[in-house]
Amino acid sequence: MTQEGINDQAPATRNVVTFDLCGEVLAVPASQLREVLEPVRVTRVPGAPPFVAELVNVRGAVVPLADLRVPLKMPPGADGPEARILVLEIPLDGQEMVVGIRADTVHEVTRIGPADLEEIPTVGSRWPPRFVAAIGRWRGHFVTLPDLAAIFADFLAGPPGRAPSAGSSGLAPEPETT
Amino acid sequence: MMDEETLTLFRAEAGALVESLETSLLALKDRPNDRELIDSAFRDLHTLKGTGAMFGRADVASFLHDFETAFDRVRDGSMAVTPELVALSLSARDHVADLLRAGEPVAQDPAGQEILARLAALTDGAVPAPSAGPGPEPQGAWQVSFTLPPDTLALGGRPELVLEELRRIGARRIRARVAGIPPLEEIDPENLYLSWVAEIDASVTEDEIRGAFLFHEDGLDLRIEPPAPPSDGETSAAGPPEPKPALAPQRGTSLMRVPAERLDEMMDRVGELVIAEARLADLAARSRDPALMSVAEDIQRLATGMRDNTMSIRMTPIGAITPRFRRLVHDVSADLGKPLTLDLRGEETELDKTVIDRLTDPLMHLIRNAADHGLENTETRRALGKPETGRITLSAGYSGAEVLVTLSDDGGGIDRSRVRARAIERGLIPESVPENDEGLLKLIFEPGFSTAETVTKLSGRGVGMDVVRRSIEELRGTIDVASEAGRGTTITLRLPLTLAIIDGLLIEIGSERFVVPLAAVDEIVELPERHRDGESGNAFLDIRTSLVPFLRLRSLLRATGDPDPHQKVVIVTSGDDRIGLVVDRIVGNHQTVIKQLSPLHSGLKSFSGATLLGDGAVALILDVPNLVARGRGLAEETVEAA
Amino acid sequence: MTRTVLVVDDSPSVRRMISMTLKGAGYSVVEAEDGQMALERASSARPDAVITDQNMPRLDGLGFVRAFRARPEGRGVPVVFLSTETDAAKKDQARAAGAIGWMVKPFDQAKLLDVMRRVLG
Repeated sequence: MTQEGINDQAPATRNVVTFDLCGEVLAVPASQLREVLEPVRVTRVPGAPPFVAELVNVRGAVVPLADLRVPLKMPPGADGPEARILVLEIPLDGQEMVVGIRADTVHEVTRIGPADLEEIPTVGSRWPPRFVAAIGRWRGHFVTLPDLAAIFADFLAGPPGRAPSAGSSGLAPEPETT
Repeated sequence: MMDEETLTLFRAEAGALVESLETSLLALKDRPNDRELIDSAFRDLHTLKGTGAMFGRADVASFLHDFETAFDRVRDGSMAVTPELVALSLSARDHVADLLRAGEPVAQDPAGQEILARLAALTDGAVPAPSAGPGPEPQGAWQVSFTLPPDTLALGGRPELVLEELRRIGARRIRARVAGIPPLEEIDPENLYLSWVAEIDASVTEDEIRGAFLFHEDGLDLRIEPPAPPSDGETSAAGPPEPKPALAPQRGTSLMRVPAERLDEMMDRVGELVIAEARLADLAARSRDPALMSVAEDIQRLATGMRDNTMSIRMTPIGAITPRFRRLVHDVSADLGKPLTLDLRGEETELDKTVIDRLTDPLMHLIRNAADHGLENTETRRALGKPETGRITLSAGYSGAEVLVTLSDDGGGIDRSRVRARAIERGLIPESVPENDEGLLKLIFEPGFSTAETVTKLSGRGVGMDVVRRSIEELRGTIDVASEAGRGTTITLRLPLTLAIIDGLLIEIGSERFVVPLAAVDEIVELPERHRDGESGNAFLDIRTSLVPFLRLRSLLRATGDPDPHQKVVIVTSGDDRIGLVVDRIVGNHQTVIKQLSPLHSGLKSFSGATLLGDGAVALILDVPNLVARGRGLAEETVEAA
Repeated sequence: MTRTVLVVDDSPSVRRMISMTLKGAGYSVVEAEDGQMALERASSARPDAVITDQNMPRLDGLGFVRAFRARPEGRGVPVVFLSTETDAAKKDQARAAGAIGWMVKPFDQAKLLDVMRRVLG
């Protein structure tokens, strides 16, 4: 279910929005993008795992703010001058969930066709392969399309604090202090 | 002619009648001679039949005809209310609900025919009055001649509307007679000189013809000649027209039916208004402009009033859903062959409509569970010396800003050793957990505890107690269970009065703000000097001779920065327990529009939701029952250590 | 053209119930809370029909109908009385004052619309 990204489908041309995170170029389907926000005041959620440690107000709705650096095993970093928040609608359990994700810079909406796609390497990748929907080329860079549905589903599946898989993905919420 | 709104009204009204009928029928089971109940059931049947016919649901009307007749006989004493009649009427009620749900008249109705056949058998084979035409119908036409009162025009009456009405009910031909018109110079323009002759279809009743002259009866000259009898033996297929039914009387002219979605929309709007008002107040305070601040205060007062009004409109008594529980117990009792009674207490207790709506399914499940698993079968009860009839009690009542709903049964209680064995088998607890462990019973709410092993027709269906717990938690409520072997089980639900907007106390820890629901706040005290330096240590406050444990939110929430030199303690209550929450600063009251946390954060027990502040920032709402439970744990640890 | 009905009753809920029903059926509605106010409203609104209560402060229903009939805007406009009473003598009084019809409270929406159809078409 969670892999219903590019893996299962016949390759087709898709519109994606490209952005930088931690020196890498990432892309998400443009159809999932609701809007791009300038950095706004965020609220820390005490006890929440680093992946979704904050909340943000998006036009009157309280939206969780996720940091893809955590599941993609990138080092944490501070916001630069061009930092943005991408507000996305992600299919999850048959429903659309609105989340924000952090980006260092947002580039553009572009088309990635079958010819631009690369094989997903099964070994040697820095990233957990199940979190990668596709790898393509854009302006001479590698661009990674993370499988957001898989990332969030994986996060939700990890029962807080005691899931055997929690340690490996680094996603599970840390147990609350009592 | 029949617009959507009217149809909606009809459906709502028919739905209410069907429910009211069910309530009367169920009560009749226990009090078969209650005059008022019999009358009420008859009235509901009659009105349902009448409105059904009026709104094009001849199928409903004709189906109900025999039941109405039966209850008419009950009314005049020629028939008694028996359990069979009640059971059959209940299935008729269900059938009507099905027919109504279909939306369109049903042409073929075998299920209905079967129920009617059973009714006919029940009414002692006495053939009920046939609902079809009573015999040959006269052919021909009524001959009607009339002169309207002379002051008709002066009073604003319009003769052409009378003619129109006559045509509507079935006039074939209308001719004016001009014989009465005086010479032109004598004519008073406000006087009416014409008279008319009309031929009206024989199928129309005399009452209907007279009804066409509404408001013109005084001074009316009306002659009606009945139609000639049929010239041959031909019979008419058309039955006699149904007596013109009246709409169900309104329960008082001041009541109004409103679609529930409009109330939801209204609450959303009020939520937005409250948030906008907070922004305005924030701007006004910054501007220091007294005129602007005064307007902002007015708006705040109005928004608060609006909020309270809207919420009070949404409050619904829990009695609104209890008929379904009565019905459930009736059905389950029949299915299981266990005699059961349902005791309802505090039905007038009100909760927000959304809470009530979303409470129905969990309660249905709990009641079904109690009936199926909780209560022993009749033989066992008899052997134990218990009353044969099992008793399930559902009671509701207020407790501060919460509503307590308890469901108890007088059954055998939960078998602790079986719960323990099952939990170990499912890997929920280690084998070292003893049978008297306090948390043991709560394991029945764990996902994965319920299994298909004990699926029965009633409680199976793959819905476990974990689903019940999740539904209650989604309502920001809590669920608890207590059980005594041989005596029964009690499940306690604590629910917030409303889901939408609450009064909150805005507090600050470091640079972060949080909301504490004001209804849970008892008082605020200064943190005593001697506790100031405790970094993470928790202790007790001596408040008017009682020791209250306190939690330092600063360390609990891992806030950074130095504590305020004048920390405050917010004393909060949940259930019977009190606890102090140490904060840096009290910011003030805040009307809190509750936003649910997304699934990504719903696992966090410290917060029950989030809200938006005047400056647009998000603030988390502290979950007081959860914090109080932690405080209680703290107290127990301390006692054990001592 | 939209027909205008003047609804005169001192009970806000009755007024509201009537006016909701009438508006729902496409009539336009002007409300007044007693006979005096009704006279004022009638002169500007020029109603096509009037529904009035009997017992009201300042000017009751009978007084209002008599005064209304005496005015140019009151000529030929049907007035229906709304009352909880079914007393025949009262009905006669109302008719003499100039009301065309009498309706007994409580009534339902269908009845009200039926009455309006009969007096306004």
